[in-house]
Amino acid sequence: MREVLLKTEGLSKSFSGRGTLQHVLKNIDLELYRGDFTVIMGASGAGKSTLLYALSGMDTPSLGRITFGDRVISELDSDALAVFRRRACGFVFQQVYLIEGMSVMDNILAAGLLVNRDRKALVRRAGELLRAVDIPEEAWKKFPSQLSGGEAQRVGIVRGLINSPQILFADEPTGALNSQTGLDVLDTITSFNRQGQSVVMVTHDMRSARRGNRILYLKDGAVLGECDLGKYVPGDRERHEKLSAFLKEMGW
Amino acid sequence: MKKQRLIACISIIFAAELLLLFLFAARDDANLQDTVAVNEVLHAVQDGWGKREGPGVLQDLDYVVLDTEGNVLYGTRRGLSESINQAVMHRDTVLDITVDGRVTGKLILYNDSVEYWRRQKRALTCFFGLFLLLQWGICAGYLLWLDRSILKPFHKLKDFARRVAGGNLDMPMEMDRRNVFGAFTESFDIMRAELKKARKAEAKANASKRELVAGLSHDIRTPVASIRAAAEVGAALAEHGGGMDCAALLGTVRENYAQIIRKSDQISGLVNNLFTAALEDLERLSVSPGLMESRELCGILENADYLHRGRLPEIPDCLLWADRFRLQQVFDNLFANSYKYAGTQIRVEACRDSRCLRVTVEDEGGGVREEELPLLKEKFRRGQNAGKAEGAGLGLYISDYFMREMEGGLLVENGEKGLRVTVVISQGGR
Repeated sequence: MREVLLKTEGLSKSFSGRGTLQHVLKNIDLELYRGDFTVIMGASGAGKSTLLYALSGMDTPSLGRITFGDRVISELDSDALAVFRRRACGFVFQQVYLIEGMSVMDNILAAGLLVNRDRKALVRRAGELLRAVDIPEEAWKKFPSQLSGGEAQRVGIVRGLINSPQILFADEPTGALNSQTGLDVLDTITSFNRQGQSVVMVTHDMRSARRGNRILYLKDGAVLGECDLGKYVPGDRERHEKLSAFLKEMGW
Repeated sequence: MKKQRLIACISIIFAAELLLLFLFAARDDANLQDTVAVNEVLHAVQDGWGKREGPGVLQDLDYVVLDTEGNVLYGTRRGLSESINQAVMHRDTVLDITVDGRVTGKLILYNDSVEYWRRQKRALTCFFGLFLLLQWGICAGYLLWLDRSILKPFHKLKDFARRVAGGNLDMPMEMDRRNVFGAFTESFDIMRAELKKARKAEAKANASKRELVAGLSHDIRTPVASIRAAAEVGAALAEHGGGMDCAALLGTVRENYAQIIRKSDQISGLVNNLFTAALEDLERLSVSPGLMESRELCGILENADYLHRGRLPEIPDCLLWADRFRLQQVFDNLFANSYKYAGTQIRVEACRDSRCLRVTVEDEGGGVREEELPLLKEKFRRGQNAGKAEGAGLGLYISDYFMREMEGGLLVENGEKGLRVTVVISQGGR
């Protein structure tokens, strides 16, 4: 029996404007499990990012309930939600948004100090993570403008993981990268997932989606179907075919 | 927002008026004349004593110099007090001119406070006039707004209601969303349009029913005539035997009855056609489902349970795929049935599963016989316990039709204490 880490019941999100109500997410009942690499796919406008933001507490649902661990986060006020988000969620975005005037290490510590005041422990953990993502020690004092796109995204991943989040949420993390650096970033995320880190990633790229063990396909704001791919094994042809068949069935 | 701005505007004007009044009241005007200036003038006059000409206007003060006899030696201008008496009457300042320790004359300094007060009064009048004008403008504007936004639309609404009551359903209600009755007037116009539609449908239905009745009357006449003929033959045979032997007579009588049965069946078929034709109208009831929040069900249930026999349940949050108007009709029907046939307290429950929301309405009226349950949703079917209660046996049939059109359903079963009807409402995005 796998441990349910995050659960939604009747999750709906609507946006109103110009007198009309746009229902972006409709009655999503979902369970995300600890240790999973869940990938959310779907066409543009299907509600992938909206779902990611609702799941991670970055946005509040219009209707429904979200239970993260043993806390109902859909009922928290914005301050409590912000505190919870800092502790339980890590984020990786398409654009890394590192702070320009701060070094790589300071960027990571800035996120860590919001939760943990033990600077020494933070520096130690940041160092371990940076080594794990192949950022050499001499680059730790560099400024974001001195990093390549792939390096910056890997620093972004370290920043997302500095507080040991329960789930790492990634929104198109390879969207702005070229093919090889994109692969490096995916390898990094996959490697953390192998060590037990739960990951939820939104993507419309099949190469990225292959890394997940569970694929959810969103259409018109509802989960149309899901596919269990099992743990990622590089170069697994059967896995690729299974995913292709699933996406074809979903009308990809 | 507009209201707040108006209140703020009026408050600011009142505050400005009050401030002005306070400032005016608090002014200390006791010493209007500057003592230093007065002394300076006195010294200048004393220094120049004996000269034919005075020192002229000093420190902006007008004055007149008299000798000890009361004669005017000189003054700064005409129209000033030229004697001690006049000076006292005008409240001017009178000072002794002392030269070498001896009083040699009088200095009368002109008191200009009268002019000062006149100027102040004029300024104050202007200020208050301006403020009053402003207030009047705001009040007039507000009254105009009230007239345009409330009174006129209200009068329009009254005229509209009179027209509708008089049967004129063609003239639409003029709508202006800017006034406070905007949405309200729109609902009135929707009501008019629906009434018009209903009236048209009624006229059409009446016309087709008339045609149908005329046609069926014609069709029924033929088998009725046959029955009559068969009955006459039967009567004749009973009277005379038709000269037939017993066996032949029995054969003819049997044939006669068979004819009557066949024609009765034909009439029965025609009557069924009549019912079916009436029910075909049901298919024309349009159902337009869309996404709605489950919270809206609270209002629908509250409306339906107008006798407050049930307690509103907690409705789980979700998006429903339903037609609000038709859903209201379904619940109206369920509560009306319960009031009519059970008349007891009603239990209302709601629960959600992965595909739909189920709302259960259960009374304590004992329910119906098990064998009747499958038939309750059919046309013209009523339970044995219907008794003399009014009804056509169409409510559950129509409700079931509405729910199926909304991709949901209606389940009728016997509960613990009475009839339990479950309205299955489909969820959006499924």
